[in-house]
Formats: sequence, C-alpha cells, structure tokens
Amino acid sequence: MRRTIQRALLIVLAGGALGLVANAISTRGIPYIAPPKPRLQARDTVPLHEAQELWRSGTTFFLDARSPADYAAGHIANAFSLPVEDFDQQYPRVATLLTPDSSIVVYCDGQQCDLSHRLMVKLSELGYRHVRVLVNGWTVWQTAGLPSRKGEQP
Amino acid sequence: MKAVALLLRLALGGAFIIAGALKFLQPATFAADIGNYRLLPHEAINLLAITLPWIEVVAGVLLALGVWRRASAGVIAVMLMVFLIAIGQALARGLDVRCGCFGTVEARRVSVLALGQDTALLAVAAWLVWREKN
Repeated sequence: MRRTIQRALLIVLAGGALGLVANAISTRGIPYIAPPKPRLQARDTVPLHEAQELWRSGTTFFLDARSPADYAAGHIANAFSLPVEDFDQQYPRVATLLTPDSSIVVYCDGQQCDLSHRLMVKLSELGYRHVRVLVNGWTVWQTAGLPSRKGEQP
Repeated sequence: MKAVALLLRLALGGAFIIAGALKFLQPATFAADIGNYRLLPHEAINLLAITLPWIEVVAGVLLALGVWRRASAGVIAVMLMVFLIAIGQALARGLDVRCGCFGTVEARRVSVLALGQDTALLAVAAWLVWREKN
C-alpha cells in the first residue's frame, strides 16, 4: 500500500515535471501563472436604460455572445447571434452588417458571464470603436419585460 | 480474466494517453476550458493546464505498458474522481461549458453523458486497482 502511494506520487511528480519542461520549450507555452483577467471598465458597459434607448432608436446592433442553443431559447429581439466560442466561424455572417463606426451592444447572461466581455475584446481588436457590454444582459432585459424573441432568427 | 484486465489496461491507458496529448497540444485552450468550470482561483488555472495533461500521459503509458499497474491505475482513478466532481458541479450549477475532456476534438459540452462515461472509466480504474492488490 505504502509503496503504491509512493509510486503514485512519483507518477504525479514526473508528469508535472514533464509538463513544466514541455511548456518551457514549446512554442505554444503559456505563462505559469495566468495574467490577471482584464476587468470590465465602467466606460465599456452600457446601463440598461441607455441600452433600451439605443434599442428603440434602432441604430444599434445587439449581439448575443452566448451559444446558439441559448440564443434560440430566447434572446433580445432583433439581436444577432455571434457566439464568442465559435467566433471565427460565425463572424463573417455578422460582419456584412457592421462597419467600424457601428454602435454595438454585446451581452450574455449572468453577472459572472464573461462571454460578452470576450466578444467586446475581439470586436475591438478588429477595429470596431463603439462596442459596449450590457452586463448580465439577457437576465436584466427579460426582468425589465423588454421585447425578446425565441428561435434562430433575430 | 487476465485477458480482460489486459484489454482494459490498454483501453484505459490509451484513452488517457490520447486525452493528455490532445490537451498538451493546445494548452491555452485547455486553460480556458478549466477556467470555464469556475472551480479554481484564476492564478492556479495555467499551472494545472500545464501539468495535468502530462500526468495523464505518464499514468496512461505506465498502465498500458503494465508498469506500476496499481499506482498508475490509482492515479487515473483519482483524476477521474476529480473530473467527476468538476463535471458534476458544472451540471449542478447549470454551467454550459465545453467538456474539455478530449481537447477540442469534440466540442462536447458537459453533460450527463460525459458524467456517465467518466463513471464507467472510474469503475474500470477502480477494478484494476483492486485486482492488482495481490
């Protein structure tokens, strides 16, 4: 029993050591300690009442960062689906609608959900200048009784 | 029974070699997958993403080769238990996250199916640990 535990520990240590070495020499290596998550700045978010105004004006694109299944189960009316987990595949479909100056609101669901934040970062990197996050978007939108839809269409 | 044990060792060891290799080929993706489970402090995620795949591979190779059978099956069993907890809590909290079980080869989300698979593998590993007792 004791010998088995010693051997098991050795396996874990050997594997861990190999991993550390491999990570050091691999071109795909990642930092040993993850850099702190970029925090969402206040200026990157849009409050609900303002989002509501933007939605009414019809001049702003709403993008749903969640999975297609979540989108189909219910989304902000007229919002387009752009699942951040599948960004490269899905982006071209939405790109035809947008210009760098488009006003864009991205959202997902839940206070902790960072899908919308990640989508904002991706879009900003592509040159979109006016992207903001509606924090906990789907929940606050629904709770406020604002227009929503089900299905795959916006 | 000996032939069954050999087959199961090869299958379980092989599964862990493949699962580990697919993960260490894409460490950044695996780190993101771990993060999505929201179990670990942010700072600990990368370290686990770097080391876990290689522990899987080492244990898988030893088990498949029949070296230190009990210890390697035991390490695999413990890993499977940890995966079970991770998947179970994700399901319980309603997290819709990619399983990350076999890298990105399968875009599978955590599901009851993954839970069942994990349990089946755990049963095999536990049986091997028990069998190699003597």
